[in-house]
Amino acid sequence: MWEWWRKNRVVLLGLLLLLAALLWYSVSLRQQKETSFFETLLMEATGPVQSAFTSLVRSTADIWGSYINLVDTEQQNRRLREQNSLLKSELNQLKEISLENQRLRRLLEFKKTQPVKTLPARVIAEDATSWFRTVVIDKGYADQVHEGQPVVAAEGVVGRVIRNGPHESRVLLITDAASAVAALVQDSRSRGICRGQGRALSFDFVLRKEPLELGEAVITSGMGGVFPKGLLIGHVSSVNRMEFGLFQAVEIMPAVDFSRLEEVLVLLREVEP
Amino acid sequence: MNRVLVYLLLSGAAIVLQTAFLPHFLPYGFKPDLLLILVIYLGLHERTWRGATLVYALGWAYDVFAGSFPGLHGFVLLGIFLAVRATVSRVNAESSLLLMGLVLLGSLMQAVLTIFALEFFVEGSDFWPMIFWPLPLQVVLNVLAAFILLRAALWGQLRFMPRRRVPGLHKLDSRHGT
Repeated sequence: MWEWWRKNRVVLLGLLLLLAALLWYSVSLRQQKETSFFETLLMEATGPVQSAFTSLVRSTADIWGSYINLVDTEQQNRRLREQNSLLKSELNQLKEISLENQRLRRLLEFKKTQPVKTLPARVIAEDATSWFRTVVIDKGYADQVHEGQPVVAAEGVVGRVIRNGPHESRVLLITDAASAVAALVQDSRSRGICRGQGRALSFDFVLRKEPLELGEAVITSGMGGVFPKGLLIGHVSSVNRMEFGLFQAVEIMPAVDFSRLEEVLVLLREVEP
Repeated sequence: MNRVLVYLLLSGAAIVLQTAFLPHFLPYGFKPDLLLILVIYLGLHERTWRGATLVYALGWAYDVFAGSFPGLHGFVLLGIFLAVRATVSRVNAESSLLLMGLVLLGSLMQAVLTIFALEFFVEGSDFWPMIFWPLPLQVVLNVLAAFILLRAALWGQLRFMPRRRVPGLHKLDSRHGT
């Protein structure tokens, strides 16, 4: 027996360790609803670095874009090229400012329509893996942002805050598989649940008999307790009524383009614990 | 202790690259899992108990930046580390192809363990399609990143610190008969 234990000790202890890790994961899934000190510490430590990296990459991309624009004019004479470079660089900057202005104006107009207090925030980082859909924003509990608060953009629903530090928060996007939003079709008022599927959303529990058309808008129903009623989630992109079964399979394309998400609004409403 | 500090710095750099740098260049949220490559490297060159503790802690730190389930990556990365430790004595650890092969298998194992931990422990969600369908591309990205990192590390070592030896790296260099 002792000999067998000595021979297999490492394997058994390894398995025991793995089992302990699995048990701890299972326990923390049910218990850890709020941001821990460890998470706050890490978010606070990495937030400025992530923010600096994102700013650096965006400004480098602008300079690179200006350089690419210059390649064509390289064949022309030097003086014109220099002038052109200067003008294009300025134009590029103006274009960027104009685009940002447009985005912020849309956000401002949207903000006016919201009955609750809102807080604008910038996206500073994305999820570290390819499988989950979260982003980090540059506002935290020092700015009255708390877990569970809804996050929106001018185009529609973005997600909800799941973790927060003093100056950063992590937002679970509606396209993550862990996200579920109570929703209804704007015209027919058919109800269902929107679940994330990576790039699109599935609209579950819509009865087979409910009439649904491609392109119809799907909005929040306000039933889940997180999102207020009437925010645009997306549009119906495919409907599959099978011959049997209670429900139909519906796919929704989100209204927000998450690959280009830069500014968002946090709805500072009180969240039920 | 110095080595642990280097590992922590490397994992911090990996996380910043994955969250704030690579997403600007890669479409549809795809990014190589640099931390997985580090865990496999640790599996090849660190002692079991020290490495396991470090990997588990790194997994918990990873959860702060990825997904919404605390403890998930602690379990997944620990599983991969122990699997690498279990196989390392049975294979030729001096081949650079081995690292690529282990990254390939590690990526598959990561997907299997993640699906297992999510589908069996999280209620009411359907995670496997989000992990299963992009898996081939994820594996290719991880292997490509491992190849680039290995080449860059070997070049950097020869260029900037030719007298020092990074554990395992000198064995992976083709000039040492591999």
